[in-house]
Amino acid sequence: MATQSPSASIAGPRDRESFFDAQRRNRHATWRLSAVSVVATLVMGIPLALTVTPLLYVAGLIVAEIVNIWMPLPASFWQHSGELASYGLRAFQWMTGGKMPNPQALVEGIAVLLLPGSILSIGLWISINSLFRRAGVGGALLALKAREPSASELKELQLSDVLQEMAIAAGLPAPKIMLIDAPAANAAAIGHSPNDARIVITRGMLDRLTRDELEGALAHLVASIGNGDFRIAFRVASVFETYGLLLALINSPFGPRSRRTLWRVVRYGLSFKKGAGDPSEAAAVADLLSRGAGLETDDIDNFFDTTAKKKSVLRSIRNFLLFPIFFTNVAIKLTLWFFSFSMLGPSVALLWRKRVYLADAAAVQLTRNPDGLAEALRKLNSQRAPVPGGAWASHLFLVNPAGSDRMNDPKEEAAHRQQLAAIWAASQPSANVAAPAPNPQSTPFITQEILATSRAAMAGNQDALARMTAFRQAAATALGKSPDELPSLEDIAAAQRGDKTAIQHLAQFGRKVNASETGSTGSNSTSTSQSTSSSFAGFHPSLKRRLKRLDRMGAHVELVTSDRKTWIVVTALSVVLGPFALVAAALLLVLIAIMMMASLAFLAIWMAVIHQVFVILLHH
Amino acid sequence: MPNLSTIAIIAIAAAIVIWFVSIFNSLVALRVRVQNAWSDIDVQLKRRHDLIPNLVSAVQGYMAHERSTLEAVTQARAQAVASANGTVADRAQTESTLTGSLSKLFAVAEQYPQLRAVESVQLLQEQLTSTENRIAYARQFYNDEVMKFNTRQATFPRNLFAEILGFSPATMFAAQETERANVKVSV
Repeated sequence: MATQSPSASIAGPRDRESFFDAQRRNRHATWRLSAVSVVATLVMGIPLALTVTPLLYVAGLIVAEIVNIWMPLPASFWQHSGELASYGLRAFQWMTGGKMPNPQALVEGIAVLLLPGSILSIGLWISINSLFRRAGVGGALLALKAREPSASELKELQLSDVLQEMAIAAGLPAPKIMLIDAPAANAAAIGHSPNDARIVITRGMLDRLTRDELEGALAHLVASIGNGDFRIAFRVASVFETYGLLLALINSPFGPRSRRTLWRVVRYGLSFKKGAGDPSEAAAVADLLSRGAGLETDDIDNFFDTTAKKKSVLRSIRNFLLFPIFFTNVAIKLTLWFFSFSMLGPSVALLWRKRVYLADAAAVQLTRNPDGLAEALRKLNSQRAPVPGGAWASHLFLVNPAGSDRMNDPKEEAAHRQQLAAIWAASQPSANVAAPAPNPQSTPFITQEILATSRAAMAGNQDALARMTAFRQAAATALGKSPDELPSLEDIAAAQRGDKTAIQHLAQFGRKVNASETGSTGSNSTSTSQSTSSSFAGFHPSLKRRLKRLDRMGAHVELVTSDRKTWIVVTALSVVLGPFALVAAALLLVLIAIMMMASLAFLAIWMAVIHQVFVILLHH
Repeated sequence: MPNLSTIAIIAIAAAIVIWFVSIFNSLVALRVRVQNAWSDIDVQLKRRHDLIPNLVSAVQGYMAHERSTLEAVTQARAQAVASANGTVADRAQTESTLTGSLSKLFAVAEQYPQLRAVESVQLLQEQLTSTENRIAYARQFYNDEVMKFNTRQATFPRNLFAEILGFSPATMFAAQETERANVKVSV
């Protein structure tokens, strides 16, 4: 069987595709789509650089003026900067339809307009990359609250065994496996190279899949590690993060949140410490990651909130002074939104889908059993549920964890956990031991501890049972309820097995105390967010498409034949709406251009004013 | 001053040398991978040898009537251990006998419900099942690597130089007759 050449398709009743062919096809598609994505990134980067550059010149001017007060700069400096400005002005004139300057001046002008912004973006990108390289895995695992599997429980032993087998089949070092105690059924591969890869799997998935299905699912993840998907995932994430950071940089004069984000990245990205041992650093990165691509606009919205009650002269003056940045901000936001929606997002999502198909085909190569993976995908897809804390990494998961778009409000969640930790500590049987004040860092481990104890209690451990009873009492008094209103041990265990009613029961309780763990299925799935989640959602190919490809490789799946009518409707709609969409896109582009010009014009005026102010200051 | 044609000749010669080196290196890399895959099979076989005594002693008490099955396993293991340094064909023979006797043991164990209920036996059985799978997957990986290595050697233009450079096709790890035969269990 293996002696036949890899390109020959296997004879069969249907037109089968060998998994080698499928892999080659998807690899080639990856190359094409990465080229498209790189082009899209550059196309998006050009207007951004154009918008950011003037801002940098303003910052440079202010610095130069301040230096000039104490240490007069030579006249040639001011002359050079004047020339610089005229270069940029000429290029800009040409772009906006003026007369063509000579080519050399044009190139210089474009360089003047593009280079500083590009250099800044590349610098940010590099620091984001180094940040990911060092703290990514630890932070990711902390965000997911994962633990190691036990070797004494049959199911968990089987899990480690199956993973070992798959690693052997792929000829890779076996990744470490981490379990998340959640009723959701899903798994993901996390890391940046095959050597430090982790596979994260929920307990709910382990409980639901048979050995064959587990094999297929883990083979997909191991194959994805072996194919080098980490590099692609981190590149993609780093590009989105870079754009987010750029926005944070521009927002930084307006609000503390952007400043905090920025400060963190600078601190962790530029510290040349080796290894990722620092848990607080990992936590910070996890926080950064879990807030998505960092495209937050609260700061600037609050800042220019004209309906705010606190109106004062000082505030108005400040608003007036910083007004040009508002245009820059809008221009950048529009550019980001428009280009990532129309170009970068789709091309990257398609690229990632090809990687998913590739890993599927490679998984079939490893297990030689397409049915296992197909059945696993079908099961996981029918029980889609958010993974606690897994929002930012949703594209890394085996199937789309629908509804897990964003975590709860972090503050609220932290408060809940704090409360839970306090109750847990208070219910400690040995009252003479002073309960240590629960610090926010250790709360994830406390929830884990609770779950572990509840499991032990279910298994018949008397001490654990007593502890859980005490905990229930304490929780009931803390919440002002009778213990019967709280979920019982059986409920927690059932929820871990995936029982729907138990999950709902827990979810009600979860709103009160433990919002992040077992209760998340019922309570938080409604909270959806805009930017990152919607762009990451398209990263998962539909189950139907994946099954169709697996079917071609020999899986026995019943495919729902696609409806012709939907196709007709879709085509008709696109014919009708297509022109409208094009017009809208053109209008948006014009709007972006206008915003950029406004930003540039205001910044130019601003620069002139700043210069005059300093000149006057200097003369007095 | 060297003229243009000498430069061109030197460039072409350099290109050919580089091309040869890259062919040689890629073949060497593949050969190392094949060897590595082979030693991976070894590791898993060793693991199986180490696990069997535990399994036998764990199930002995429950399967007193299946003395012959147990003895067959013990004996096959002893032979496999003894041939660990023998020829490849020899090893393949003894290991496949061991596989056969083990699968028979598992099939027989299915008839002892009280045995299946014991947790330590369950864990052991899981470990052995996994080891069997690992051997199978290590073998599959080895065969895949051999296929890549042999295909690379046999395709143009490498087929012209492979032999001169000292490469020969590696052999696949094929299933033995004893493994292909179905295990017969009297229920």
